[in-house]
Amino acid sequence: MPGELSRAAAIIGAAEANEIGYPATPKTALQLHIEAIKNVSEQTGIPISRIDGVFSAGWSSQLAEHLGLHPKYIDTTSVGGCSFEMHVHHALAAIHAGIIEVALISHGENGWSARATGGRGTGRPRGAPDPWDPGQQFQQIYGVSGAPSNYAHAMTRHNHRFGSTPEDFAHIAVVTRQWAMLNPRAIMFSKETNPGGGPITVEDVQNSRVVAWPLTLLHCCLVTDYGGAVLVASPEVARSVKTKPVWIAGAGESMGHANMLEMEDFTATSAAASAAAAYRMAGMGPEDMEMAMIYDSFTITAGITAEMLGLAPRGEGFLLWKDGRAAPGGKFPINTNGGGLSFNHSGMYGMQLLVEAYRQLSRTAEDGVTGLPGKQVDARSCIVNGTGGSLSTTGTLILVAD
Amino acid sequence: MAYTKPIPEPDPVHRVFWEGAKAGKLMLPRCTTCNRVHWYPRLLCPFCHSRELEWIEASGEGRIHTFAVQHRAFGGWADEVPFVTAYIDLKEGDRMFTVLRGVDPTKPERIRIGAKVRVEFEQASDEVSIPFWRVVEE
Repeated sequence: MPGELSRAAAIIGAAEANEIGYPATPKTALQLHIEAIKNVSEQTGIPISRIDGVFSAGWSSQLAEHLGLHPKYIDTTSVGGCSFEMHVHHALAAIHAGIIEVALISHGENGWSARATGGRGTGRPRGAPDPWDPGQQFQQIYGVSGAPSNYAHAMTRHNHRFGSTPEDFAHIAVVTRQWAMLNPRAIMFSKETNPGGGPITVEDVQNSRVVAWPLTLLHCCLVTDYGGAVLVASPEVARSVKTKPVWIAGAGESMGHANMLEMEDFTATSAAASAAAAYRMAGMGPEDMEMAMIYDSFTITAGITAEMLGLAPRGEGFLLWKDGRAAPGGKFPINTNGGGLSFNHSGMYGMQLLVEAYRQLSRTAEDGVTGLPGKQVDARSCIVNGTGGSLSTTGTLILVAD
Repeated sequence: MAYTKPIPEPDPVHRVFWEGAKAGKLMLPRCTTCNRVHWYPRLLCPFCHSRELEWIEASGEGRIHTFAVQHRAFGGWADEVPFVTAYIDLKEGDRMFTVLRGVDPTKPERIRIGAKVRVEFEQASDEVSIPFWRVVEE
């Protein structure tokens, strides 16, 4: 029995900034936001002035001001890469409650350009972190910095507990690359567009430079620019626009910890809880899912998450990729845009998941620009899971086509 | 030799821990209502939410819960790569993060999860000593 909120709103459009990936000239996060917002407005035919709720990871007041909007609902939830799945959850509730009709969820992040601008244009504070923060006092002093240094500890523990190996997880990188080769917008689309692009093998993954053992470079996601925006709307609005609605059948969110110091089980995340909530709302289960978009900041993230979502038994998430089910032409496609590993990862990747899930379920995944023949899959349901922080926070959505 | 890596700045909540470290003692917070030790230090017990907390001197013993080898680091740590980071299951309960000593970072396959470790302190400044954990049993 689906819950009250199930299908109370739909994603009615999803668009990207004009230029993503490694732009030739540096872009600001705001540029990436605004390009994507204009594009989703044109795609759906919904004028920007009709947006009455603004959701973003910290940018909502700047965006609303820039667009001259005076929204009735403002959400700035910013808890890492899953923030955007949570925004959809919150927008669903706000629309169901009758507070708003059209929610804008937007993301702009110049992970690549920030290297050239010295961190300018990111919208983030540039000062030093607070030295009194527990993470600074008890973790950062030991030289860990950045996500790979943290996530590597999870791979070691998974290998120890389940007898898995880094080679098992390397298959995730190999299969995800196969999807990227069907997406001309992917950084690793081909050798012609990037020296590191094109097909890779398990040996290539294992022989790439060690970043934080057992993670080598090709177990890790990219660092790029990205702008993306989706519109979530009431059923009435959804039926009035020219684009196809993708219904929000289920949504859930949870968190395990903020700092990895508090991660109780290094082989599990709160996705088990956020997925349980989403399945319950949808009145559906893992067996009803026909594809998945799973945050792959690292191969270990995707493997563990597949287990948490109930798509594979504990300890065996990587098998979905290793046995080819997740690959192009496979029975259970996963990360059909090429993933954070080979398509695009700006820092917070949850928006990329949403955009691709919308494209697949609205049958617009092969337009020649964002997808070549073979990329569109035959799925009417998709589970989307974002992971934020250091395997800290999760947002899960169950999206279904009409 | 001068300590070139980040030195923590003790704050009011964590002051007792750093005072202990300076004296070569591992001090841990314990709740006197549920008797559980927690890490990192809190204002309320994270298990039962009691405000009745005390500091105890811990055994300084633990075991490796999981680990990684850092091949990329910033600041003073950049000069020490590769080095092994680890989460330590404390004998008294809960878990701490550290840089592991007494291991070969070029042979991670020889490092054993569950291996026994013992705390030691390195003086980083006149005011601050930092805990590190050393493998004491193969």
